[in-house]
Amino acid sequence: MTISYTRRAAIRAGLAAVAAPVVLRHALGDEPIRIGMPLALTGPAGEIGLQMRHGAEFWAKEVNAKGGLIGRPIELHIEDTTGDPATCVRKAQLVVERDNCHLLFGMVLSSEALAVVPKLAEWNAIFMSSDNGDGRLTGSSFVPNFFRANISGPMETRAISLWLRKAEFKKFYALGMDYAWGHNSIGVFDDEVKKAKKELVGTVYSPIGTKDFSTYITKIRQSGADACFLVLQGDDNNAFLSQAHEYRLGDKVQLITSIVDLNSIHAVGDAAIGLAGSTRYVFMIDNPKNRAFVAAWQKEYNALPDVFEGEQYQACQMLQAGIEAAKSIEADKLRPALETAAVDSIKGHVAMRACDHQAVQGGYIVKVGKLPEYKTPTPQIIATLTGDEITPSCRQMTFED
Amino acid sequence: MAIKRNSLLFLAICVLALAPTGLPPYVMTLLTEALILGLCAMSLDLMVGYTRLLSFGHAAAYGLGAYAAGNLLLHTSIPLVFSVLLAALFSGIVAIGVAWVCTLASGVSFSMLTLAFAQLLYAVAFKWTSVTGASDGLAGIPRSPGPFGITFFQGRAGFYYLVLACLVAAFIFCRSLVQSPFGAVLRGIRENEAKTLSLGYNTRRYKIAVVAISFMLGGLAGALYAPFAGFTNTELLFWLFSGQVLIMVIVGGAGTLIGPVIGAAFFMLVSNMLSSWTDSWALFFGAIFILFVLFAPQGIWGLATRWRSLSSTG
Amino acid sequence: MDFLGFLVTQCLNALSQAALLFFLGVGLTLIFGIMRIVNFAHGAFFMLGAYVGYSAVHVTGSFWASLIAAPLLVGAFGAAFELGILRQLYRRDHSAFLMVTFGLTLIMGEAIRLLWGVAALEVPAPKSLSGIVFILDEPFPIYRLFLIGAGIVVAIAIWQFLERTRLGLLIRATSQNAEMVHALGTDVRLVRSAVFGIGCGLAGIGGVFAAPLVTASLGMAPNAVIDTFVIVIIGGMGSFAGSLIGALLVAFVQVFGTYYFPDLALALMYLLMLAVLVIRPGGLLGKEA
Repeated sequence: MTISYTRRAAIRAGLAAVAAPVVLRHALGDEPIRIGMPLALTGPAGEIGLQMRHGAEFWAKEVNAKGGLIGRPIELHIEDTTGDPATCVRKAQLVVERDNCHLLFGMVLSSEALAVVPKLAEWNAIFMSSDNGDGRLTGSSFVPNFFRANISGPMETRAISLWLRKAEFKKFYALGMDYAWGHNSIGVFDDEVKKAKKELVGTVYSPIGTKDFSTYITKIRQSGADACFLVLQGDDNNAFLSQAHEYRLGDKVQLITSIVDLNSIHAVGDAAIGLAGSTRYVFMIDNPKNRAFVAAWQKEYNALPDVFEGEQYQACQMLQAGIEAAKSIEADKLRPALETAAVDSIKGHVAMRACDHQAVQGGYIVKVGKLPEYKTPTPQIIATLTGDEITPSCRQMTFED
Repeated sequence: MAIKRNSLLFLAICVLALAPTGLPPYVMTLLTEALILGLCAMSLDLMVGYTRLLSFGHAAAYGLGAYAAGNLLLHTSIPLVFSVLLAALFSGIVAIGVAWVCTLASGVSFSMLTLAFAQLLYAVAFKWTSVTGASDGLAGIPRSPGPFGITFFQGRAGFYYLVLACLVAAFIFCRSLVQSPFGAVLRGIRENEAKTLSLGYNTRRYKIAVVAISFMLGGLAGALYAPFAGFTNTELLFWLFSGQVLIMVIVGGAGTLIGPVIGAAFFMLVSNMLSSWTDSWALFFGAIFILFVLFAPQGIWGLATRWRSLSSTG
Repeated sequence: MDFLGFLVTQCLNALSQAALLFFLGVGLTLIFGIMRIVNFAHGAFFMLGAYVGYSAVHVTGSFWASLIAAPLLVGAFGAAFELGILRQLYRRDHSAFLMVTFGLTLIMGEAIRLLWGVAALEVPAPKSLSGIVFILDEPFPIYRLFLIGAGIVVAIAIWQFLERTRLGLLIRATSQNAEMVHALGTDVRLVRSAVFGIGCGLAGIGGVFAAPLVTASLGMAPNAVIDTFVIVIIGGMGSFAGSLIGALLVAFVQVFGTYYFPDLALALMYLLMLAVLVIRPGGLLGKEA
């Protein structure tokens, strides 16, 4: 059995569990800690939503097995948003006002998060993000009840840029989704390339849902760039990688992507070989915490944890650290505790900072290749960067040096 | 009979008006959104049900209203009520130009032209960042107070009453419209356009007028949505939304005005309930539509009136 | 790359896109021609084709087997749907079909998610087609050349089928005048089931052809359905040649338009449709205005 097969089996098993109640309630007696989780479970963003769900359920099961958090069981209230911001706001409101959840996870897309965060104060709810990349959430759109445990778009781009400073590439091309995350990341990249005294020879944005990338591939080839920075996700990313492989684009141009994840690698197969890029989490991270996590995860889901599963687990631990310190889930008590929270996470030391609620953490550069022990191509870490290097100054989206 | 129907409607409005006193806050929010969508579906019914103009681009009306209201509320101090009305008017005026082009064709081509306009607006919304906020949309849209310092509409209940008032006013307007000689011409176009034309009516002018009115009311719904949700997003202009509104009209019962309102509420509340209950909600939701077509061809409203006439005769 | 090389590769790119669009458009237009209904679920049948193709590749190990299995299974499913449900609705207006096919789209999307999972699936092109050839020193994928060839073969096959076979004759006759065909003693209902099945089967084979380029994923259906409408409307609803011309026009405008005006990529197709319909409200080869 190859890894990709067992993974799919795990996803199917996860779907089979759908019929069972999502509430993980234990007979601990105390009032449970209710956490609302509006997620895109169906629709194009459903892949990421399912990963986040797995990450949170894994954590909740672990915590409840140990007697709960501050003596109270965790209860997850998961709702499908289909990836539509209007539905997301409606569902978030439901979990807050109907189910009495004043802690929130989820919100797969940045457009969903940007629609929800202005309402957090009114709801008296704290939202711990595990995947929203938009720099503005800890910048111009910052609200006190929002916390980001994950690596942001600007941070992953910064990690790539710092790695590229040392690499031999001189001329770059950038292709991004015509979407906030794409513009955001390419903006940072442009800035960084200039600082490194290298050249960005062209930029193009493809509309969301682009199926045929042949024209974009022609543009990249003609530009004479020796590396191409990609900010694509989901179906668009898979389509681009498959077609780039068709045209053997990788022979001439090094493809460098914002997020390397296992799902995409499985979807495009050998087309992923040679791909380099930043990643927010990869199961290959070598520390005792992560090794234990990966082993427990494989036992639970019979698959390796992917990017958003690891990131969700870390976000859960961050929330846990805050609640343990505050001994409360009241927003006013929890907020100051979260502002100074730090965890010894699966990615090493990760600390929240008070000024913009961004968790400071290291970044990883990986390259996808064939390894004898795995049937499908696998990302390997080729560089690590420290949290100080990749985290922007408070409330900033670009970097000074 | 007419008196009986009017009194029933009056009763329904009274129940809706009393809703804030008895319902929990989150239900109020759901109900407000359902009524906004209901207004949007009702406006489309003027085209679909009374003139047989199957518009596949009603998201354009909704989105235009939402973005116009969003910009007015964000960048001016015009009070909420006036901003909403101005945005609706704006949507209606834009529609005159759109309708002028779309009515060159009829049938499926008309549907596709309306789709093309809506999708072009969708594309524009992605590129005209200074006005639309591109893929992020506009966020933090306030419910500006006034005039005369009135803050009633800012609260949850107050805003609900604003939506309800708009819906009732729009309903009364639409009903007198379809019962007027103008409405008779629309029905003539629906039944047999060539004959209506030969009777000396400039049918194209009538069609342009009905599209403009429909867009104005659809724009009113969108204009209410922006301050309701506090944001606008390109999804409001996407063809999927146009399709959904069309389905709301059909499932409620086209050509009845009240049916589409119920259809919209049904669509939103049932999809919401189903998706809270199971991830596979689309399976059940899809089956509901197929069952409706097979067993309730006149939509929910048709079902209700048939049941009523059966109970009164039998 | 020199200009000639650029021109040739871009034209080939456009032709390969046109082939994929044609598989979708021709099915929809055949269905419309016979039944006067707009099949909103056409994208879902396209997606089902890709997923069935994925499974067929994994069961048989052969891409070629999936090219046979997918259209047959998807076509059979389409015909069954016509027999079970659509058949009862021919006296009803457009809205009934719209709602039924909308419902079917929701059901098929969710059923596929339950059966195959939420993650996108790899459908690799067969080894013999996954290489490249050099055309004027530009590398070009053999698979795309194969798509162009497949498009030509299928187009000729459908054309010959409509012209030469008895069923083809009946299909053309029914699209002209269903009453007359019925009066002459042919069961029009069977013709309808057959055409719906064939149309869905064509969408299904399109799904298999597309899968190596875009993977089999849940986003395929909504993306495809609207493109298909546009092609068919540009060409003229119900016209076989129209769907071919529509596919070619859209593909060339998309490929060259995106190259020279990348900011307009999203709008190009709709601008084209607007232009065509303003000049010819019934589409290029359409009969009705």
